[in-house]
Amino acid sequence: MGPWGFVALAYGIVWGVILLYLISLKRRYKSAQAELDVLSSVEATDRDVKK
Amino acid sequence: MTLLKETYLLLWKDLLLELRRRESLLTMFFFGTLLLFVFHFSFDLAPDKIVEMAPALLWLAFLFTGTLGLAQLFNAERENHCLDALLLSPLDRGALFLAKTGFNLILMLLVEIVVIPLFWILFNLHSWNLLPQIFLVSLLGTVGFCGLGTMMAAVTLRARARELLLPLVLFPLMIPVILATIRCMENILRMGELGEALPWLRLLLGFDVIFLTLGVLLFDHVIES
Amino acid sequence: MKKGAQSIKKRRGILGALALIAIAVGLYWGLVIAPPDAYQGQVQRIMYLHLPSILTAYLSYFLVFIGSGMYLWKREKRDDILAHSAAELGVLFTALTIIEGSIWGRPTWGVWWTWDARLTLTAILLLIYIGYLMLRSLIEDENRAASAAAVLGIIGFLDIPLIHMSVYWWRTLHQPPSILQPNKAPWENVHPSMLIALTISFVGFLLLYFYLLSLRYRFGEMRGEIKARRLARGG
Repeated sequence: MGPWGFVALAYGIVWGVILLYLISLKRRYKSAQAELDVLSSVEATDRDVKK
Repeated sequence: MTLLKETYLLLWKDLLLELRRRESLLTMFFFGTLLLFVFHFSFDLAPDKIVEMAPALLWLAFLFTGTLGLAQLFNAERENHCLDALLLSPLDRGALFLAKTGFNLILMLLVEIVVIPLFWILFNLHSWNLLPQIFLVSLLGTVGFCGLGTMMAAVTLRARARELLLPLVLFPLMIPVILATIRCMENILRMGELGEALPWLRLLLGFDVIFLTLGVLLFDHVIES
Repeated sequence: MKKGAQSIKKRRGILGALALIAIAVGLYWGLVIAPPDAYQGQVQRIMYLHLPSILTAYLSYFLVFIGSGMYLWKREKRDDILAHSAAELGVLFTALTIIEGSIWGRPTWGVWWTWDARLTLTAILLLIYIGYLMLRSLIEDENRAASAAAVLGIIGFLDIPLIHMSVYWWRTLHQPPSILQPNKAPWENVHPSMLIALTISFVGFLLLYFYLLSLRYRFGEMRGEIKARRLARGG
């Protein structure tokens, strides 16, 4: 593997991993946000019902 | 002064308990000896090689034996909610830390006093005159191990798989002690004195002081129920 | 509450965009504009990844330390979330540093791994903070997990200088100096263009780090909120 091969390998892995982490983080974020929204709407319905 | 008095009381309690049942001491002692045997079979050691490897093998044996002791350190407190009782009392948590550290230290020193000469015998070493220096280095290393180890034993106390988690968390942090003790012992065995390994001894002392102090200060936060 | 959250999201978006720009510029400068090293050739360009990522990792661990200390002092959940988030990112960047170091090492020293001071230290760091994350995941009760992790966060960070010293002494006092001095050569003739590439890359990494931290922190907050609300509703 030539010198540029190693450079490509290093840069590729680094940005690849960071991208993967970012994607996984965003996914976790979205699912948590969705759950919060569900909880909020359920609580709102509870309040309406109690009124 | 009350810190020391409380430490003494708690330490005395643990020692009395141990004296009666002797389970920790005996298991640690036999485990340490067993490791020596296993090492002897695992490594095909020519006489000159043994001197090189002795410090490392010795310290490996103590590390694993000590970890065994740490795993059992809070066993007495787990029964009958003793830990809660201790925490409700006005005793200084720092004293509990020092007492537990001291207890494990005493156990380990007792094991070392027997295992080190045993090692000399089993591996046919002749440098008996160097034993006092070896003991000194071993003592300082063990103090560091017990201090940091007690902290980590408390930290992992409530975790699942804590028997596995404790070494995982403890060993990387122990690296300065491992390196320092082995380097010191190597020099002692090679040169007959500490000599150029003196900085290592200072590092070891520094480590001991720092982590004993940290232990006294932070134990409060760890051992809450 | 909604309004504040929106403005945070907006600022985070700007941060992310800035990070992207800096990274792009850094990439171009590091790979195209900056000259290859006199001794190591093109492979030396990995430095523009390696140095920023290890520095970012150290920054992260410092934040773990601060968060841990603040949590033990004030017992506010947000400090714990900060510590946890910083630990996760720290592990990420440390792992990347090791990979970069290994890849850099292969053409430079001929091996994928050596036990030289720097690589060894980075590996130890990784182990310590992986231990931190495992500890957190293995303790059921949240408050106990937070306290235990905080103590580990403080002790771990304070041990780092000692580990540094001992590993460096070990590797320099008993090793012939000729074997492993991979970075001695480049530092002696640092072309200004290289410094610029390095600085821009570092800025890019830093911005990226805070972007990720902000995201991860908010995620931690949300997770806490979900738990609290579930508890309030009775399960």
